[in-house]
Amino acid sequence: MKIHDVWKSYENLEVLKGISFDVEEKEVKVIFGPSGSGKSTLLRCINMLNPPDKGEIYLRGQNLMSSDIDINLMRSRIGMVFQQFNLFSHLKAVDNVSIGLRRVKGMKKEDAYEKALQALKNVRMDAWANHYPAELSGGQQQRVGIARALAMEPDVILFDEPTSALDPELIGEVLQVMLDIAKSGTTMIVVTHEMGFARAVASEMIFLDKGLMIERGTPEHFFTSPQSERVKKFLNQLEVLYGSHEQLLQFKDKEEL
Amino acid sequence: MILQTIPGPIEDILKVFEYWDHILSGFIMNMWLYAFALTIGFILGLILALVRQYGGRVFSKVSTGYIEVIRGTPLLVQLFLLYFLPFSLNWPIGSWRLVSTFSLFDKNIEIIFFDHITLIGIIALSLNSAAYQAEYFRGAIVSVGGGQVMAAKSLGMSTIGSIRHVVLPQALRRVIPAWSNEAAYLPKYTTVVYFIGVKDLFREAHYIVSITFRSLATYVIVAIVFLITISIISKALDIVYSRTRIPGL
Repeated sequence: MKIHDVWKSYENLEVLKGISFDVEEKEVKVIFGPSGSGKSTLLRCINMLNPPDKGEIYLRGQNLMSSDIDINLMRSRIGMVFQQFNLFSHLKAVDNVSIGLRRVKGMKKEDAYEKALQALKNVRMDAWANHYPAELSGGQQQRVGIARALAMEPDVILFDEPTSALDPELIGEVLQVMLDIAKSGTTMIVVTHEMGFARAVASEMIFLDKGLMIERGTPEHFFTSPQSERVKKFLNQLEVLYGSHEQLLQFKDKEEL
Repeated sequence: MILQTIPGPIEDILKVFEYWDHILSGFIMNMWLYAFALTIGFILGLILALVRQYGGRVFSKVSTGYIEVIRGTPLLVQLFLLYFLPFSLNWPIGSWRLVSTFSLFDKNIEIIFFDHITLIGIIALSLNSAAYQAEYFRGAIVSVGGGQVMAAKSLGMSTIGSIRHVVLPQALRRVIPAWSNEAAYLPKYTTVVYFIGVKDLFREAHYIVSITFRSLATYVIVAIVFLITISIISKALDIVYSRTRIPGL
């Protein structure tokens, strides 16, 4: 996946001012930065829910901005997980996951159901398959949201602050699931302030502020020698406010940290 | 002991009930108009609401304009405008007719299901109801929220697919409590067709009064007929609402 020189503005407000980066297969890209920096807008530009004003976005060599492309088909290859979960409230957990398989991929009801159940198993929600979203906790809803994206077997999954709307005690279960799927080789672009997660799996981190990429580098780089003052200050504040939630994650081998 | 005289009010009501065939045929006419207006209004209202919400700038304005004009003018005026329009345009709609006659307990009942005034009544009530229903639908569509539409699109669904599989199943459930307002108002509104000469319950009541001179009893009966009808409709919608409720919401 290739994002090249993406610009986006609302009215007179320039939200993104020329963002470019590449995402390789199986890479986990973490984007972070203060609110209003354009992180969520960037994700919505990437899957064209909010098409950019200018720039190019390539998925496996196909330009999503070109007019002769079937954008719905391309979107089915880009998963998305939302801050507010956005589950379909009239559908049971399993149907939330299978609806895309049936209505977009045209799978048969039984096959889609089987596959949805498998996806729910991957996020440890198979026991809740027949519950409606309103009957689930935030963390459980978000895990269903992740399963919904996973089941489509997309080339890349976008995560838009997946844990920001959760109670502190529910963050761990979601991060754990994200960690698992990151390790299973899923390509991910994650907007998050969970630095523990970033440190564990990010291949590269990008710091965004006021629509500009201020700094990019490995987690190693950010946690040991961030260059700009802005990044230092921000990381400091994150640490003070939230800590890194590192203790929430269970690592199989400790040396990964 | 045998009751020598029947109390006045009861006697009045019994007298009016001798004309039960008129009450019945009038009531059937009101329900006939109601069924049409509600159904056509439902379909048209849903289309109007969807167009207003998703139709893009131009169509959205057209839909909004229609709703505002209908809601801003009296139903009776709309009815009269439609009534005089075909005559002004010289359309030969006076010749269209569908009449049904049957006999029940040796009374002959004739109901004119379609002639030009019934048709105009149906059209006016449908067009009017559509505007009100559209606003109820729009409220429900908005309440489903953009987040779920975004999620549906992120799965690769088209806008129409998202509306069909995500928005409508929820909006149509959520709309029921508000929409039952319209379902309860509309039977009463159908009585305006009296003014263009449709033989509805109100007109039949008028006829009964003109023969029996028992106006109070007659209109009490008319009121009770509507009260019972609307109570049944409300109750039925309550049941539909609780049956289709989404668990946990």
